[in-house]
Amino acid sequence: MSRVRVIIDKEWAEVLKNKMILYTAGLMPALFVVMPLVMLYMTNKEKGSLRGMENITSLPAFAGMDPKSAAQILLVNQFMFYFLMIPLIVPIFIASYSIIGEKQQRSLEPLLATPIRVWELLLGKVLAAAIPAVALTWFAFAAYAVLARFVATDLVYAVIVSPMWLLALIVLAPLFTVLAVSLAVIISSRVNDVRLAEQIGGLLVLPFVAVSIAATAGKILLNFQMFVLGALAVALLDVAVVYLGAKLFQRETILTKWK
Amino acid sequence: MAIIQTEGLTKYYGPTLGVEDLSFQVEEGEVFGFLGPNGAGKTTTVRMLSCLVAPTRGRASVNGHEVGVENQAIRQIIGILTESPGLYEKLSAWKNLDIYARLYGLSGQLREKQVRRYLEMLGLWERRNETVGEFSKGMKQKMAIARALIHEPRVLFLDEPTAALDPEAARVVRHFIAELKTEGRTILLCTHNLDEADRLCDRIGVMKQHLIQVDTPANLRQRLYGRKVVLHLKALTEPLVAAVRSLPFIKSIERIDNQLVIGLDNPEEQNPILVRNLVQAGGQVQFVHELRHSLEEVYFSLISGGQVA
Repeated sequence: MSRVRVIIDKEWAEVLKNKMILYTAGLMPALFVVMPLVMLYMTNKEKGSLRGMENITSLPAFAGMDPKSAAQILLVNQFMFYFLMIPLIVPIFIASYSIIGEKQQRSLEPLLATPIRVWELLLGKVLAAAIPAVALTWFAFAAYAVLARFVATDLVYAVIVSPMWLLALIVLAPLFTVLAVSLAVIISSRVNDVRLAEQIGGLLVLPFVAVSIAATAGKILLNFQMFVLGALAVALLDVAVVYLGAKLFQRETILTKWK
Repeated sequence: MAIIQTEGLTKYYGPTLGVEDLSFQVEEGEVFGFLGPNGAGKTTTVRMLSCLVAPTRGRASVNGHEVGVENQAIRQIIGILTESPGLYEKLSAWKNLDIYARLYGLSGQLREKQVRRYLEMLGLWERRNETVGEFSKGMKQKMAIARALIHEPRVLFLDEPTAALDPEAARVVRHFIAELKTEGRTILLCTHNLDEADRLCDRIGVMKQHLIQVDTPANLRQRLYGRKVVLHLKALTEPLVAAVRSLPFIKSIERIDNQLVIGLDNPEEQNPILVRNLVQAGGQVQFVHELRHSLEEVYFSLISGGQVA
């Protein structure tokens, strides 16, 4: 495992030199913490801010609630989805930069000539991208949960720290990270431009955004069971993409087939 | 003792031939040069021997370890300088070497000692904290050589070590390789620079997807062209030419102005007799030197199908 540690150290040392990645990785979680807090605060203070949302209680999920709480829960749920985008986007930035950076610097061949095993190299790269992504997600959510206590009503706060969302953050976030890193490995093996890899990887959030819109529109009812099934589906997808990524990540394939 | 051995080593990339039926040995402490045009399979051979790509057929061993069977053991005892330096451009010189020292399992003080040793040896110690992206090509190449040596490998693969370097940087790198040779390391050198190969290599292998010839540069010259001496005379007359022709060991004779180019089997023994004969016949010998064909001539002759004795 010591070689895995060397790779993680190396990756982080390089990432710390890249301001673009640092800004991206830092800005997104900060926005996702601040925006829902501001919106909760505004909806508490100004009656006008809820204009147009009076009919929200007609949706089955909000039946029997007062319009303000229903609207705030709707907002909270939407932003919780945004938190789950952090482990999808941040690792794609880090992993794409890491692998394409190695390709551009032509540093993979001397690296692969050392006694490092290919799985150690792959694991090092995966962890180097996954650990900050999961840590950022959890840290951002923890900050949000603490600060939300001051602006959310008990009813709304109970949604923020509900088992459903905690499951999503604790289980789904790491699963999403594995998915994102593995896809980044696959994409990076085929392209030589970091921005192109990020753009292709960014498409990963589209199905996720569709689910969040459907949930906001009341087309999907969010509940614990649905998240358990979602986690199982993502776990299965992870197995498939990790297998594909590992197949591409072989010494000879890297040196002879990667474009 | 042979430290590198190959038998019928062959590599195909899909339907494309990389190298075919390569059989050769490199002795311990020897500098062995691979010469060949682009696409001749030099890099493929190095990649097979350093366990980066698997042979399609044949076998190879490095220090007794079989390629494809004991790859980890081989990787631990080899160092490789790839065609491009492949450094981490955003990291410092120190960090670049430290990463590799750790990957080779060097711990604590030994790691620091080795990193310092090579940075000092290659004149990069003062710039150890600078990012290598700011270094010149020559400095980057030195860094890549230092990286290949950080774990003191017994076998060193150098792929085009002076390519794309200015003459001064190339000279520094060549001197360093010559120093490594004196340390008794085995070096396999792939190069397009024939003068470099001539100066550094004990033996060379000329290849073009298969091995055309392996021998010392001197032997290859002799086998292709034989040995010839050039005699400069103050004046060259027919009686003098006849006097030379009368000697039984003369293999060939060519007259160019006042010079005679004479083919001999053993110039060390036969030159004194030849000169004495010429002087006795009234010739005034100004200079005698051996005609030395350049390795470039040897190389092009072999590549274009020239036959050796």
